[in-house]
This record gives sequence, C-alpha cells and structure tokens, in this order.
Amino acid sequence: RSFTSQTDGEARVTRVLREKFPRASAIRVVDISGGCGAMYEIHIESEDFREKRTVQQHQMVNQALSEEIKSMHGLRIFTSTPKQ
Amino acid sequence: LSQAATAGGGDSGGAEGGGGSGSREAVERLVRAHPVVVFMKGSPAQPLCGFSNAVVQILRLHGVEDYRAHDVLQDPDLRQGIKNYSNWPTIPQVYLNGEFVGGCDILLQMHQNGDLVEELKKLGIRSALLDAEKDQDKK
Repeated sequence: RSFTSQTDGEARVTRVLREKFPRASAIRVVDISGGCGAMYEIHIESEDFREKRTVQQHQMVNQALSEEIKSMHGLRIFTSTPKQ
Repeated sequence: LSQAATAGGGDSGGAEGGGGSGSREAVERLVRAHPVVVFMKGSPAQPLCGFSNAVVQILRLHGVEDYRAHDVLQDPDLRQGIKNYSNWPTIPQVYLNGEFVGGCDILLQMHQNGDLVEELKKLGIRSALLDAEKDQDKK
C-alpha cells in the first residue's frame, strides 16, 4: 500500500488527533479491520505524554477520540514521547 | 458487606440512582473482591475476543490462575457500567488491588517490560516467570 493512500476513516481519525494533539511529533493511524473502519491501531508520539503513566496517556487519546470510538469495534493505542 | 455475585444478572439493587449490576456501587464491589479482577468477553476457559484472550494468556504465563473474571457479554448493564466506572471505552479491563490498570495493550507492555512481575509481587503473587528465569540460570 503506498504511503499516501489512506482510508477515509484513517484520515478522519488522524485529523482529529492532529487537532487535539497539536504538539504531536508523529501520528500514524492504521485501519486493522481490512478497511472496514471497525478497528484501528493508533501510534502517537508527543511531548504531552511525558511523565505520565501509560494508562493516563491512553486516556488522553481515548478522550480525544471519544466521538470516533463510538463507531469503532476496538482500537489499539501505542503512545510515546520524542527522544530528547 | 454482602457477597458480590459474579453472574450479576437480575440484581434489582437499591431503589435510588438506578442500582443494578452496572451501578458504581456494584462495580466497586466487584473490583475490590479479589487482588486480580478482569472484565472480559467470554471466560478464561473460552475467551470470545482476541484482546480478552491475550489478557488471559498473559496472566497464565505468569502463573496467575486464581482471579475473578467477569463476562460482560452475559450482562449488558455490567458491560456499560464498567466503562462508566473506569471512564475507559473498551473491554478487556484489568484491575489490580481494585485499581484500574488498563486493557490488553497496557498489560502486554507491562509483561514485556517487567512491570507486571513487580505489580504482582506487590499483591503477594509470585510470577511463574521468576521461576522460569531461575531454571535458565542453572544451565
């Protein structure tokens, strides 16, 4: 799959994350339900996550995507902070 | 203090505030009933979701077989109640000593970085992986 092609769902979720995490240095959203929009894998790297426990970091992502999550069957979240 | 019912169905509870198996009080009782409590889809013997299965397998790797597992597919009130309680939208949910730890991804991370062995130790549970490591050292 070429780097530039994205499903509509991936694009929408990415857009919401960019809005809610303007400081994020890297955001990657992958539809892992075969393009059905049912399940996503989210990778996000941001200073916002520094010094926070993983569950708190994931909570921030959950809150940011609270609307989108309603129509998802599931999601996987991988958060990280930029290397200093 | 009444004994928490693991099935959860048909619990009419108190008159005020909705009550029922998904109420804050009911969930609180469940998460405090045992050091290790898991809300999942299906049962440890037969998980009905890949993420719930991952949690079961990780606990099994650490030799944790004695824990409370609640099948949210059997109880729609509990299914919603547990999400309200933890303010977390997905299942499975793992609670250690009454505290919400996270879902499958977090438990996997804790397993990989050694945190799970430490957290279990705090609960007085010795992870089976510690004994596995000892066996390796002997070779």
